[in-house]
Amino acid sequence: MIEYTWLVPFIPMMCFLIIGLIGRKTPEKGGYIAIAGALLSFLIAVAISFEYLTGPKFAAGQPVTESMRWFAIGDYTLNLGYYVDGLTCAMMLFSSFISTLIFIYSIGYMHDQGERKNRYYAEVSLFLTGMLGLIVSSNFLELFIFWEVMGLCSYLLIGFWSFRHHEGDAASANAASAAKKAFLVTRMGDVCLMGGLFIFLNLFHSLDYTTMFANIGEVAAQNSGLVTLALLLMFGGVIGKSAQFPLHDWLPDAMAGPTTVSSLIHAATMVKAGVYLVARAFPLYVMDADVMLFVGIIGGLTAFIAATMALNNMNIKKVLAYSTVSQLGYMVLALGAGGYLWALGYHELGALGFFAGCFHMINHAFFKALLFMGSGSVIHGTGTEDMRLMGGLLKKMKITGMTMFIGCLAIAGIPIFSGFWSKDLVIDVAMAAFQNGTGSAATWFIVLWILAVITAFMTAFYMFRMWFMTFMGEPRENAQHCHGESPKTMTMPLIILAICATISGLFMFFGLGDILAFQGVAIDGVHHGIELFTNPFTYLTLILAIVGIGIAYMMYVKKTMDPGKFNKDGESWLYKALTKRWWFPDLYNQISWKLGYGVAKGVNYVDRQVVDGSVNGLSAAVVGGGDTLSKIQTGHVQDYSTVILLGVSLLSVLVLVIAKLMGGF
Amino acid sequence: MIPMEYFLILAAILFVIGAYGVLTKHNAIVVLMCIELMLNAANINFVTFAAFNYDIVGQAFVIMSISVAAAEVAVGIAILLNAYKIRKTTTLDDPELTTMRW
Repeated sequence: MIEYTWLVPFIPMMCFLIIGLIGRKTPEKGGYIAIAGALLSFLIAVAISFEYLTGPKFAAGQPVTESMRWFAIGDYTLNLGYYVDGLTCAMMLFSSFISTLIFIYSIGYMHDQGERKNRYYAEVSLFLTGMLGLIVSSNFLELFIFWEVMGLCSYLLIGFWSFRHHEGDAASANAASAAKKAFLVTRMGDVCLMGGLFIFLNLFHSLDYTTMFANIGEVAAQNSGLVTLALLLMFGGVIGKSAQFPLHDWLPDAMAGPTTVSSLIHAATMVKAGVYLVARAFPLYVMDADVMLFVGIIGGLTAFIAATMALNNMNIKKVLAYSTVSQLGYMVLALGAGGYLWALGYHELGALGFFAGCFHMINHAFFKALLFMGSGSVIHGTGTEDMRLMGGLLKKMKITGMTMFIGCLAIAGIPIFSGFWSKDLVIDVAMAAFQNGTGSAATWFIVLWILAVITAFMTAFYMFRMWFMTFMGEPRENAQHCHGESPKTMTMPLIILAICATISGLFMFFGLGDILAFQGVAIDGVHHGIELFTNPFTYLTLILAIVGIGIAYMMYVKKTMDPGKFNKDGESWLYKALTKRWWFPDLYNQISWKLGYGVAKGVNYVDRQVVDGSVNGLSAAVVGGGDTLSKIQTGHVQDYSTVILLGVSLLSVLVLVIAKLMGGF
Repeated sequence: MIPMEYFLILAAILFVIGAYGVLTKHNAIVVLMCIELMLNAANINFVTFAAFNYDIVGQAFVIMSISVAAAEVAVGIAILLNAYKIRKTTTLDDPELTTMRW
């Protein structure tokens, strides 16, 4: 079955074509085709994973990979192929599974979108193609192609409502500019990634994982500077795609798209691609401890900054968006800390960091898909995204409320629920990096650990703030008009995801540590799972999380604590800074106006005046010269013969003179 | 025996007369005749060199040249006749005949 791995991205691509060409004529405008495609991909992924995980290669800790030559430039050979290892299997399974659920949910959520559904289903199918293709790629060029396919699809889907938005023209313009922002900001990262790939291609003469992973030690020893640069550039791509600080600001704006799209981007595809890239290139990254430290710092900062911005946001989807950014920061932090430890020689802990990052990615996929779809259900019911207009919805939307409650518990890191296991492992790895690190790196990691712990507290607070504001208290404006629970196609995926979000953390007790082993160093999930309960720091984060939930409860349900007291009724400096997103959008605007627009104007000037000018000048000179010279053609035959005669005489004289000079006669 | 220079000078004089005619005459027929003069000046040169060098090829070439000249005149006069039919003139600097220019 493994030899059919190419089918996994191929099927959604076929769905994209079928829906795009004839989807209009099918029921739900191609929705069922998209679901069938995603489900089929999932089933094939299950079969592949089963065969690989029970096969001899997995037991030997080796990937199954095969590639064919695509083209060669000089002695740079570029291939197309597939690469299946534990990470691939895990990613493939959760991406296709969650996408299937999201597509099913879309049937209900997008039901009233009419003809436009056709475009929607075609684009989400292509989106899934991008993610699955990226996962099964056997080399970085292939990965980069699918990476860009996803970039395109995110642009198209975030801007889905840039025409005829149901809330009017302002919302349309907002969707269009959000799409542009997402596209351009991620593009900055993509350019970096491409630069990194060029350097690697130059060093390795190939971009195949197998070749690169086998030779990295040798190459890194000879060109350590170039490898460091390439790794940093590659991480630039991750910063863009996975919305890490300082390129994180596109993700909250991306909420302008349909909620299902947000769910797809945040849970199953797109932002996971960045983390996946770090995990996939982990053998390269562990060559350089400093780069890994940098990765960890970016991750920790992102986790913290994004969490602060979620604290006071009133938009239900934006809170979730910031929490995604924050959780992505956790994953990157885990990978950075783990890679740092591995680079120092602590292979056991390094592999634990790798495992924690990937594990959190999987858990996050489940609970974030759940939370987004839950918020979609709420928005579907109330017709608004503003939490100030909701409240008391638990009575009207029981399933949505309960499933979202599970999602909140999972993300807040309450034991048994999935987020607890992976998040505390992440925090553990940061602690280990502090304990085993050297010099200033150790200082950095203790700072990052503190940030991570505070983030855990903030996460619990803002998630439950969101839940309490939405589902508890007295029903406000829009909540009063809510017409009850959403249709079955929407609640069924919610229930399934709620179950997954509850149990997916327990996977680590059933061999996930072996599947997500790094270079043969498997994680003993049972051991680490039990160890979490003997670790005092686990109780620290747990208590902080419970305190966070308690504060949220007192502020938004009991009303014994007035949030206005902390922010001086929205007048305090900090509150304003948070609503202004720490001025990042302004910073982006300033940079793009001052720098981008200035450069563009300069380029425009050079293009119009210098490049166009020289070409136009040349052609004008030719035309003018020809015009002038053509006046010589008088039409008088005798003028012509005079010229001929003079010319011939001149030539004869010349020949004579030359012959004389050369010593003839 | 008459020295070779005499022939060459005769040919040169004929050629210059021809060239003068080509450049100055207004009537196309006269110009054609002057071209014939120039051609024959060249022919005289051919014959002269052939005779003085005992080489029969030069004389053979003159025969060839004369026949080509005959053909050329035939074509030239045909063009002129047609030009006359259409433009009603054979004067070279008449605006009617100088339309083939920019």
